[in-house]
Amino acid sequence: MSQIETFYDVMRRQGITRRSFMKYCSLTAAALGLAPSFVPKIAHAMETKPRTPVIWVHGLECTCCSESFIRSAHPLAKDVVLSMISLDYDDTLMAAAGHQAEAALQETIEKYKGNYILAVEGNPPLNEDGMFCIVGGKPFVEQLRHAAKDAKAIISWGACASYGCVQAAKPNPTRATPVHKVITDKPIIKVPGCPPIAEVMTGVITYMLTFDRLPELDRQGRPAMFYGQRIHDKCYRRPHFDAGQFVEQWDDENARKGYCLYKMGCKGPTTYNACSTVRWNEGVSFPIQSGHGCIGCSEDGFWDQGTFYDRVTDLTQFGVESNADRIGATAAGVVGAGVAAHAAISALKSAQRKSQTKNEDA
Amino acid sequence: MNGKSLLVGPFNRVEGDLEIRLDIAGGRVTRAEANSPLFRGFERIMLGKRPEDALTITPRICGICSISQSMAAVLALADLAGAEMPPEAMRAAAILHGVENLCDHLTHFYLFFMPDFARPAYAGRGWHGQMAERFTAAEGSGLRAALEARARLFHIVGLLGGKWPHTLAIQPGGVTRAPSARDRIRMQADLRQSRAFLERQLFGAPLESFAALETAEAMAAWETGDAGLFLRAADDLGLAAMGRGPGRFLSWGAYPLPGGPGWSGGLWDGALHPADPAMVAEDLSHSWMLGGAAHPMQGETLPDEDMRETAYSWCKAPRYGGLAIETGALARQAVAGHPLARELAEQAGVTARVGGRLLEIARLQLLLEDTLAALRPESRFMERAELPREGEGVGLSEAARGSLGHWIRVEGGRIAGYQIIAPTTWNFSPRDASGTPGPVEAALVGAPVAEGEETPLSVQHIVRSFDPCMNCTVH
Repeated sequence: MSQIETFYDVMRRQGITRRSFMKYCSLTAAALGLAPSFVPKIAHAMETKPRTPVIWVHGLECTCCSESFIRSAHPLAKDVVLSMISLDYDDTLMAAAGHQAEAALQETIEKYKGNYILAVEGNPPLNEDGMFCIVGGKPFVEQLRHAAKDAKAIISWGACASYGCVQAAKPNPTRATPVHKVITDKPIIKVPGCPPIAEVMTGVITYMLTFDRLPELDRQGRPAMFYGQRIHDKCYRRPHFDAGQFVEQWDDENARKGYCLYKMGCKGPTTYNACSTVRWNEGVSFPIQSGHGCIGCSEDGFWDQGTFYDRVTDLTQFGVESNADRIGATAAGVVGAGVAAHAAISALKSAQRKSQTKNEDA
Repeated sequence: MNGKSLLVGPFNRVEGDLEIRLDIAGGRVTRAEANSPLFRGFERIMLGKRPEDALTITPRICGICSISQSMAAVLALADLAGAEMPPEAMRAAAILHGVENLCDHLTHFYLFFMPDFARPAYAGRGWHGQMAERFTAAEGSGLRAALEARARLFHIVGLLGGKWPHTLAIQPGGVTRAPSARDRIRMQADLRQSRAFLERQLFGAPLESFAALETAEAMAAWETGDAGLFLRAADDLGLAAMGRGPGRFLSWGAYPLPGGPGWSGGLWDGALHPADPAMVAEDLSHSWMLGGAAHPMQGETLPDEDMRETAYSWCKAPRYGGLAIETGALARQAVAGHPLARELAEQAGVTARVGGRLLEIARLQLLLEDTLAALRPESRFMERAELPREGEGVGLSEAARGSLGHWIRVEGGRIAGYQIIAPTTWNFSPRDASGTPGPVEAALVGAPVAEGEETPLSVQHIVRSFDPCMNCTVH
């Protein structure tokens, strides 16, 4: 009984037909930008591999990531992903309550030791020994450390887990801290955005479940397949930018004509995300299409860049062909790569030291 | 049976984190304390920022009622600027907001509230088999159908607002997207789908007939759809008499439209009174906050980092004229004058709360259809709204879970004060200085607890009947 069933078993149990299953494999391949020749490989992997258990925990957050996730585009994809990961532990959706819920978490950790993916929504506040976010009588940071210890890999859902998000805005009253600054010894994949796009979330999780490895990440730890391009690069209003046609006021004629929102503070030129290609709410639209600029919610520190309506000023530093890695490299080059690397290592060490002393105190 | 104490939590299937401490004697709850264990400090983060940043930051208090937060911030800034949206923008904003509230009600009913009836503890009850098929957490056929209906409804928000959660399209001067005639047809198609789901699955009958119910007795006789299934179980378990609230209901009034609000505001306690925001004060005696009771325009948020013994929650205790009040769909419908809701307001228990929400679902679908039919594309959807460098503004709105208020004070072009009172802050407030418990704390007293029950079912039903949103509560 302790053997973990395959993805295919789970799907069959859920009453999903073979035909739908194959259709799902094709969709997945397409969503991940893989050639049709990958379809049989995905199918084979799902038929033979034990499914990957997922533990989904919530820290300081607003549940917007879960909200986005449960509205993934293809109903089948959503169904399959939901049943595949079957959310072995998720306190927003699960049936159990109270102590049962905590027991379920512990049981999942022990049963799948070293094999499960830990999905983190939100982040731990570290001020006052973590007392600003208490789960089951203990600070969330403890639950996070505990669940992370035996995880195979961690997914940081959204801007909160990846970077801190608005609750970390100055003065960051609770010292809300992104996951990778607390957990330093596990592979972490960041899926930023406030929230991330549903299809990006299911795409990332399907890739990991199917291929049993992390997707290719960029320098900041984001999956390159979804965060490789700027919103600006594929924005349908881009021709207006190039032609110098801008909205100057919410109520002006240019707003009605759908001109470029750059002067209204649009952060599309500096934001790496798939909004202008995948779009939102099952491909219906995205913020720029609704006439409001992008606020750059998938970028680190988007909440503390002055007002959200300030115009991007460092636009000329790079061209259309740049990607996040190259820009990251340029920035590091300016600072002096050696210094930056050294600083990163010392920060890491000091974080580890701190977490050790904390553990000893506890 | 001797008295004992029980800590129920973490509560799952609510938005955010919640813990409730219960004293139990003689098989009944004798005292309850509600604790919101999650604090982020939004009101402190807002200080020193530019007022317009409230439009981006405050919706992120909550990923499920984000447009409600957005509306309250918009109305507060509009009040500050002395601006008003053009009529068509009011309609577009009401559609955005109404769709979110409708979806929240569906989430609550299908994903959070009903799965409790599918628990094995109820096996053997006549309705359990059907409940298990429809509502088993994360698996039931009803849950799946509701998720799909919701996703489809959110196309409307996608179309008008670009993205959801955390939509930016509503501004003090109007909405940033002027819908075309084609958009309107697409939205009408989405609303038809939503009506089909409601009539086939939730009500099992035309929704006009549920909206036309006038008495609690007539509602109890409703047999079809998931609503009928709930009412059958509620009757069997005696939920009408369980979880009685304070009997005072507040609504700030919902959906500002060109001819006045879609549903008017007020205070209902068996008679209707006008709702006066000057009557509101937040008491801090039992919350881990420093300072004294204050009106939100003067209020501050200074967390007590020592977490003093005499307090037990991060939640402040808002009171209206010194009294605890209940807010939510039932309150909104009773205040707006619906005869069924007014009768249910006398019961004020679990059945009344959920019944009020079902009534609002039916009426909200109708309101959305009417508002969309009246929307004239290609008209003006935005006016100029200049924010002054000094001033005050109040934004009062209705989220799915009840009355939401934002109070902003601006000095030198920067935010000098920002206070938020969310629906669950009202409903899940701790005790005040006079020792009066908050609405849910009072509603839990008397709830039956069976021998050996660690997470009493009655408590689950009562707590969830309020549809708590703990993210919003403390913020």
